[in-house]
Amino acid sequence: MKRGHALTPVPAVPGRLLDAQLHLLDRQVIDNDGVPVTTVDDLELSGPALETELAPGTAAPVLTALLTGPVLGTRIFGGRPPSSRLIRIPWADVSEVGVVLKLGVSGEHLDAGWVERWIRDKIIARIPGGRHDPR
Amino acid sequence: MILGDLLGRDVYDDGGTRLGRVADARFVVDGVPRQLLAEARLLGLVVSPHSASSFLGYERTGLRQPWPLPSLLRWRHRGSFLVLWEDIVMIGAQGVRLREGFTAYSPALD
Repeated sequence: MKRGHALTPVPAVPGRLLDAQLHLLDRQVIDNDGVPVTTVDDLELSGPALETELAPGTAAPVLTALLTGPVLGTRIFGGRPPSSRLIRIPWADVSEVGVVLKLGVSGEHLDAGWVERWIRDKIIARIPGGRHDPR
Repeated sequence: MILGDLLGRDVYDDGGTRLGRVADARFVVDGVPRQLLAEARLLGLVVSPHSASSFLGYERTGLRQPWPLPSLLRWRHRGSFLVLWEDIVMIGAQGVRLREGFTAYSPALD
């Protein structure tokens, strides 16, 4: 293996390169109306199977979903929430990756925003004047 | 699998020598076209011999400012390399094992 500055450049690929830590993780996600939805806490891949030897020519896994969920505690103390507690936003809904990740769908019906919707409908709406625009 | 489980895992060559840890995963958006973006397939893993993760990615870009952060972070992530998916033979609880004769590519993004 060559080290240092002599490393071979990566063979050219036709698509855009995305490094998970640099371009995806912790980025804000906004919906097609420009409304913030959540942030990207983790990513889900279609594979590979763990502890299984990969034969040459095995198809590379693809990104299936952006994950979000209750990760504050695990960020501080380590580990991650169980997979069942994480909320998935399918990669097929992502329309653009830039400073923020833009979705091509409305965030109103995504599971990722249920806490905000619940607070809006059950608490804010019951405060006098809470059902209309403050202007 | 969940990517967070892969980041930070040890990486070994076919002889069992430890090479570093998975600092990042590189995807390329060139898969099956969808209505919005094409599928993003895993191109490879960035392996860092001295650090468990990546920070700001100065070792993958040519940025020189603001001094002295790029120099310090480049030194922290010195020896990082990219290994392609084709060179990975197994991902397990013990870490990631690479194929015999794998190629270490430059992790540079541009």
